[in-house]
Amino acid sequence: MSRRTEFEFLGRVTIGQYLPTGSTLHRLDPRTKLLVCLLLIAVVVASQSLLGIMLLLGAVLVGLALAHIPLSFALSGLRTMLPYLLLLALLQTFAIPQYAANATVLWRWAMLTITDRSILAGILLIARFSVMVLGLSLFSFSTTTTELTHGIEHLLRPWQKLGLPAHELALTVNIALRFVPIIAEEAERLMKAQASRGADFGRGRNFIQRTRKLLPLLVPLFLVSLRRADNLIEAMEARCYLGGKGRTHLIHLQAHVADYIALAAACALMALVIGLSTANADQLLWRLLSTYL
Amino acid sequence: MNTPAIPLIDIRGLTHRYLPGTPLETKSLCGIDLQVHAGETVGIVGPTGSGKSTLLQHMNGLLQPQQGDVRVNGLSLADPSVDMRLIRQRIGLVFQNPEDQLFERYAGDDVAYGPRNLGLPADQVRERVRLAMEMVGLPFAYKDRLIAELSHGQKRRLALAGVLALEPQVLLLDEPTAGLDPQGRRELLQVLRQWRAKAGRAMVLASHNMEDIAELATRVYVLVAGCIVFHGSPRELFAHHEMLVQHSLAVPAATEVMHALRQYGYPVSTDVLSMEEAVNEIKGLLHVQTN
Amino acid sequence: MSTTTRKIVIAGVMGAISIFLGASHLGFIPWLAGAALTIMHVPVIIGAVLEGPVVGLAIGLIFGAFSLLQAAIAPTGPADVWFTNPLVSIVPRLFIGPMAWLAYKALKTTNEALSLAISGVVGSLTNTILVLGVLGLYRFLPWALIGTIAVTNGLPEAVVAAIITLAVVAAWKRLESGRRSSTI
Repeated sequence: MSRRTEFEFLGRVTIGQYLPTGSTLHRLDPRTKLLVCLLLIAVVVASQSLLGIMLLLGAVLVGLALAHIPLSFALSGLRTMLPYLLLLALLQTFAIPQYAANATVLWRWAMLTITDRSILAGILLIARFSVMVLGLSLFSFSTTTTELTHGIEHLLRPWQKLGLPAHELALTVNIALRFVPIIAEEAERLMKAQASRGADFGRGRNFIQRTRKLLPLLVPLFLVSLRRADNLIEAMEARCYLGGKGRTHLIHLQAHVADYIALAAACALMALVIGLSTANADQLLWRLLSTYL
Repeated sequence: MNTPAIPLIDIRGLTHRYLPGTPLETKSLCGIDLQVHAGETVGIVGPTGSGKSTLLQHMNGLLQPQQGDVRVNGLSLADPSVDMRLIRQRIGLVFQNPEDQLFERYAGDDVAYGPRNLGLPADQVRERVRLAMEMVGLPFAYKDRLIAELSHGQKRRLALAGVLALEPQVLLLDEPTAGLDPQGRRELLQVLRQWRAKAGRAMVLASHNMEDIAELATRVYVLVAGCIVFHGSPRELFAHHEMLVQHSLAVPAATEVMHALRQYGYPVSTDVLSMEEAVNEIKGLLHVQTN
Repeated sequence: MSTTTRKIVIAGVMGAISIFLGASHLGFIPWLAGAALTIMHVPVIIGAVLEGPVVGLAIGLIFGAFSLLQAAIAPTGPADVWFTNPLVSIVPRLFIGPMAWLAYKALKTTNEALSLAISGVVGSLTNTILVLGVLGLYRFLPWALIGTIAVTNGLPEAVVAAIITLAVVAAWKRLESGRRSSTI
């Protein structure tokens, strides 16, 4: 990056990439989108079945189409990661011995072993990552940060009765998202101010030097932010903020038929994927295919 | 008549677009022509968001010209071989609320940051810190004071000292008196007057505080939505009362009072910049009335 | 005693700094051969030291959730492949705050400045060890490599965290420690 852009990009950090296409998916209740997203993450982590993950991949691609997101745009993240993905998949395939039972060794050379399990592990790695990237990107394309905070707040509300500090947590997230652009702007200002005094960030013979050179930027950044925090606390208390008990809300989210349908479909899909995983569907399919080939 | 010296800062046709190439692209500066000569105090006046800060940041090389030319002492800032460190030493930029950038624990250390970045030996650094602190009215003994224990006005002056320690030729100031109480403001303006008195120096003052402009500026540019809409002396500026009102710009209180008196039919001159001049005008009026 | 409002706001603001550091290049201090020492976990440590373990937990949650989101939406390196798993990106980060707070509380009465530096080290090492630990359990990396990374990357990162934590908290709390005067 040239000198010109050295300072200009600091003040413009974005959280996620909202792409307003006005599709039905975009207009779903944020709670629905959030729940589906969380279910997706949970199932991707839990599922051991490649078949199941591929099913999820298909579902996410359908979701992207429904949201009118251009496919090449959505896949750009994956494209840049392809070399790393292949490298890591290879790493998993070769270098990590899979001591699971029933693993057939397919190839061996010195310390490197490939079993059928390790190949599966490599492919699963790529598949899981792809689902996560596309799924979370879809979520990010179709949800604004405001929707996100409303969704979190509403979803956490019932847990308040069970003792979870739901309201407090939701408010924390809200404040965090709100403050990011403020902090970014402040950081840009500080960087420019110290640069005007001849500062040279990040150049030093060792990492300790480089860290100390960053202190003229980091220390004031934290201090200014803490001062702003103090102001906000005073302002909140001055406006009689006494915690979440008995607070009424301005925004009421309304779930529609589309939301229930989407949620039901998602739940059914996730149940299917988990089912495939527990039933060891991969093994069954493999055996089926090997008897016919 | 000797030929005019090359301007310390020479800006021609400077254009700047914010977020170029994106759907949010906006023009923040449109073809600015501006010069700063030694001995001048150039005021840049304009409402918030008019591009004053962007313009200042082009003058010391923080921002590179996308279009147009910015020259410091004849050197073009677009030239990649130009030593930016040198430019930033020659042209000192004091941001708005500069006390926010203080990061050291002890006052002396923060003022020393600039000279140390220049790679000066310890004794020269010490001397620069001493001179800078005394110039802003802080005794050198304050070097061992905790910054956290200084008053707001003292912190502001300390931050200014941090820039003065670089011994710049031109001082760029963005809203220097913002947030100061009247005493603090008076002290700061006095420091600035003393600093610019030395030959070969110049000052650029970006502000929407008209009193500051009236007191310090020798020439004024008015910047509205990134474009220069006026260039002249402060007196000429405040005579254009309607233009100022049109752009939601204030006028010094003294001038405002004179305009109001005129509207009520009193034959006073509106060509006043300071309280003293206003008082003299009113005295003149009273003499006429009583005679 | 710190009020709930205070805890919420500090957690939010520190969370925001963590997000900002992660989203911009400031969060990465260049290290050897392309790798970087990260400082996104330092706001977690600072928040925990200032306001307690619960606040530390909340900031850790925000840090972890954002690192997961970033790994999925804007992946830049091989580590992002692993970070799309919440067990790698979120769960270990929940412990950074509480561990740092414990270290700080234990040593606070002895020497506050030392306790700040140690809490920085402890918090950072918690991050390194737990994240690498999960990666090892998942067999993403061989244990030998994990050990190397822990030492070559984790130890310097711990020192960095100590430096920043001490500098920031000492300034905020106006601690009089170390030098008694300026170096001029």
